Amino acid sequence: MPTEPSTPDLWVEQYGDFLFRYALKRLRDENAAEEVVQESFLNGIKYYSQYSGKGSQQAWLLGILKRKIIDFIRKRNKHKHDQSDEHDPSNQLFDQHGNYHNDASSWSSSPDRNLQSSELWAIVRGCLTHLPQSQADVFTLSVMEELDSDQICKELAITQSNYWMRMHRARLGLANCVGSQWNIKEEASTHAE
Amino acid sequence: MLNDKKATELFSKSIDSELTETESNQLDAHLSNSEATKAFAELAQTIDKSIVENSGISESSDGGTGLSEDAKNRLSDSIQKAIEKKPELAATLLDSNGSPSDQRFVLPNQQEIHTGDSREASSPYTIVRKLGEGGLGNVWLARDEKLNRNVAIKEMNSHALQSPKAWQRFEREAEITGQLEHPNVVSLYQYGTDRNTGEPFYAMRFVGKRTLADAITEYHDRCLAGKCDPLILHRLLTAFLGVCQAIAYAHSRGVIHRDLKPENVGLDNFGQVIVLDWGLAKVVDDSDLCSQLSGDVELSGEALAETLAGEIIGTPLFMSPEQAAGESVSLQADIYGLGAILFAILTGYAPHEPKNPQTAKPLKIKDVLTSIQNSESPRPRDFRSDIPIDLEAICMKAMARKKYARHETASELANDVERWMVDLGQRQSEYETMRMEGRELRTNTQASVRDLETNVRFMSNLPPIQELIRAESVEDSIAWRDRLITIFSGLLRAKSDYRSIVYSRLDQDEFTELVRVERHSTVHSNIRSIPRSRLRSGASSDFMHRVGKNDPDEVYTSLACGALNDAGDCEKKNVTLFAGVPVFDSQKEDLYGVVIIECDLDHILKEQLNRRFVATDILVACDTYQTIHHTNAHHGIVAESVGQLIQTTRPEFSEAIEQLQEKMEYLDKTNQQIYGARLWLNANPHGIMFLLSHK
Repeated sequence: MPTEPSTPDLWVEQYGDFLFRYALKRLRDENAAEEVVQESFLNGIKYYSQYSGKGSQQAWLLGILKRKIIDFIRKRNKHKHDQSDEHDPSNQLFDQHGNYHNDASSWSSSPDRNLQSSELWAIVRGCLTHLPQSQADVFTLSVMEELDSDQICKELAITQSNYWMRMHRARLGLANCVGSQWNIKEEASTHAE
Repeated sequence: MLNDKKATELFSKSIDSELTETESNQLDAHLSNSEATKAFAELAQTIDKSIVENSGISESSDGGTGLSEDAKNRLSDSIQKAIEKKPELAATLLDSNGSPSDQRFVLPNQQEIHTGDSREASSPYTIVRKLGEGGLGNVWLARDEKLNRNVAIKEMNSHALQSPKAWQRFEREAEITGQLEHPNVVSLYQYGTDRNTGEPFYAMRFVGKRTLADAITEYHDRCLAGKCDPLILHRLLTAFLGVCQAIAYAHSRGVIHRDLKPENVGLDNFGQVIVLDWGLAKVVDDSDLCSQLSGDVELSGEALAETLAGEIIGTPLFMSPEQAAGESVSLQADIYGLGAILFAILTGYAPHEPKNPQTAKPLKIKDVLTSIQNSESPRPRDFRSDIPIDLEAICMKAMARKKYARHETASELANDVERWMVDLGQRQSEYETMRMEGRELRTNTQASVRDLETNVRFMSNLPPIQELIRAESVEDSIAWRDRLITIFSGLLRAKSDYRSIVYSRLDQDEFTELVRVERHSTVHSNIRSIPRSRLRSGASSDFMHRVGKNDPDEVYTSLACGALNDAGDCEKKNVTLFAGVPVFDSQKEDLYGVVIIECDLDHILKEQLNRRFVATDILVACDTYQTIHHTNAHHGIVAESVGQLIQTTRPEFSEAIEQLQEKMEYLDKTNQQIYGARLWLNANPHGIMFLLSHK
C-alpha cells in the first residue's frame, strides 16, 4: 500500500483490486462492482483538488466508494424490491403453525468447530449471492457497512418494518443456505473418511 | 408462547437491535425448548461473524477475485479520459513527470462549482514569457492549451497582493473590462484563480506587445532621422480614432478610464487598436453595473501619488488638471487623456514631460502634480513647430484646462480629427495648385523683367547712343537725338508696360537727360518725346549711381520710386520697376551716361492677377516688406497702402517672408496654407515676393 498519495493514472494498479473486492462483497456482482469502482475513481478525479493529502488516499477513495455502493444499491432496489420482498424462505421452513418442518432440522446442526474460517466464508459468500437482492443488500449494508436501521431506511427509502422483514428473511435464507451447504460438505467429508 | 417462526424473527432482530424485556424473555424461553431454533440462532451468529470478519478492509485477496485485466484496462482508459478532460490535473501529472511546471490553471470560483445550473469551466494556460510590468501587476503571454491560442494573462504582483485596495482594483478592472464589449476594448476571456497560489488573474485577448507608445516613438525617431513619413502619422491618427471610439463606448456605459496614455493602447500588425488596462476605471452612473462595482476605491491624486511615490513618473504625465488636483473626475478627464495621447502622437512627448529630459532635473510626482494643476496646458507646437495648426487646435481644445472648454464627447473629438484627416487630401491638392499659381506668377513676372533687361541693354547699344556722344554740332545732336526718339518711341509702342525710356548723361553726382520718351500718364496710347527745354537734370539718384557702377551691358534692375530712389526708401509712393544699363564712351572708354527704362509693374501684375485663383489671398511685395499688390478671392485686386510692413498687417506671412530672404520658395508643408516665391532682380539684393495663402 503506497503511503504517498499517487496520481490518478496509478490508481487502478494501486487501489483497483482492493476497491473492487470491497465492492464485490457488498454488491455480489462483478459488473456492478467494477461500475462503482469506476465511478469512484472518476469522482476522485473530479474532486481531486479536495483531497487534502492528510489522510490515506486509499481511505479517501474508499469513502467515495462506500457512498457509490449505497447509491448503487438504492438504484438497484428501486424497481426490484417489490418482487424480491415476496420471496420468503420461511414459507419453506415453517409449517402452518409456525414451527420448523421436520426436514428443516437437517441444517440445525452447528458447523464443525474445526471448519476453517475461509471455508465458512466461501460458503457464506456463495449463499449471499443466492439471496434475493433486496434482502442481501439490506443485510450487507447492515452487517458489512454497519449502517444502522435508520440510515438504511433513509438511503433505500424503505420503512422500518420493511427493513426488519428483509433482514430477517435474509438471515433465515442465509442460515438455510449455509446450513444446507455445510451439511453437503460434512456428508462429503464423512464419505471420504 | 412463541412458535419457531416468531422466535427466529425475534432473534434476527436481537442481533441488530435491543428487544423489549418481554420479547427477550420469550426468546430465551423458546431457545431453551427448540433445538431447531437454537441451531438457527447459533448458525446465524456464526454467519454474521464470518461476514464481519471477512468484510473488513484488508489487503489480502481473502479468497475474493480482483479486477480482471480487461476490467483494469477499461478502468485505466476511463481514468485517462477523465484526466484529459481535467487539464489542470493533466498538468499536475506532467509536473510530476518532470515537465515544465510553468502552468497556471483557471479553476472556477467555489460558488461556481456546485451551483445547480452552471457550467464548470477550466482552462490551462502555459506561461510563455512576460510581456509587461505595471504598478499593479504583471502581464504574461500565455498559451491556452485547450483552444490552442495565445492569450495575455494579467496577474497581481507581490506588492499589489499585499494591498486589499489593489485586490479590489484588480477585480474591478476585470469586471469592468468584462462588461465592455467593443472591438477597441480588450476582450476578457476568463477571470480565475491560480490553483497553486489562490491568487487572482485573468486571461484576455493577446494583441501583441506593441503599444501606441512604441509606434509614436518609432514615428518621431524616423522624423529626427529626416525620414518623417506622413503615412505613419496617418496610421497613428487612425489608431487614435479607434481609442476615441472605445472611450466613447465606455462613456456610453458610464465608465471612465482615467488612465489614458499611449502605453495603455495595444496595437497589432493589422491595424487593430485595443484600449487596455482599465485598472483605474470608474463607473459613474447608477446602473446595475454601478451598483455591482460601486466598491469605489477611487484613487485621488494624493492616493495615486502615494501609490507611485518614489517610482518613475508614468501616468501623471498624461493627467488632467482636475485629476492632479484630486478633484472628482468626470468624463471630461478622459477627453483630456485623449488630447494628451494626441499630444504625444504629434510631438513625441507626454504633455507634462520635460522638453529636454536629459538635462531636466528628476521630478517628484508631487511636483509634477502641482505643475499640472497650476500651469497652462502645453502647446504641441512648442515641442514641434511643424505640427499643423488646425490639428494643434483640436489637441488644445481637448486638453483645455477648463473642462467645459473641451470637446463634449470623445466622438466629437474623433470627428474633428477625422475631418482633419479627410480634409488633408483636399488641402494637399489645393496647396499644390496654389503652388503652381505662385510659380506661374513669378515666372510670368520674371519673363517681363528679363524682357525689360534685354530691351534696355539693346537700347544702350544703339549706334545713335555713341553718335550722340561724339556729335560736335547742334545739328548732329538733333539728328541723332531724333533717331533715338524714333527708336525709343517704337519700343514704347511695342511694350505697353513701359512708361519711359531715358538716356541721361552722368557727370560726377549730376545727371542730365539727353533723350526722354515717355507714355502719357493718363492717355497711355500717347507717346511723347520730351522737348530739350523740358529735359531734367540734377543730382543723381541712388539708382543711377548703382547703374553707373555696372560694367558695360550689365543691367541693374530695381524696384524704385519717385525720383528713381530704391524702393526701400519709398514711402507711400508707387513702386515702379526700373532697369538701367551704363553707357560708356567707346572712344574714351569712360562712363558717359545711363539708359533707363521705367516699367509699369502695376500693369504687369494686374494682368496676371486678374483671373481666378485657388489661393484666397495673394500679396506681391518688394522684399523690403512693402506691399505692391494684394488680391483676394472676395474683392479681386485690392489697393494696399504702401509703406506698411506686411508682418504688421499680415503676421501669418512672417515666417514665409523671413525664409524668402534667402530662398526662392517657401513651402508650408505642415499647414499647407501659405506658399511663397521670390523673384530675384538682376544685380540687386532686393526682389519681389509673391505670397499666396489659402484657408
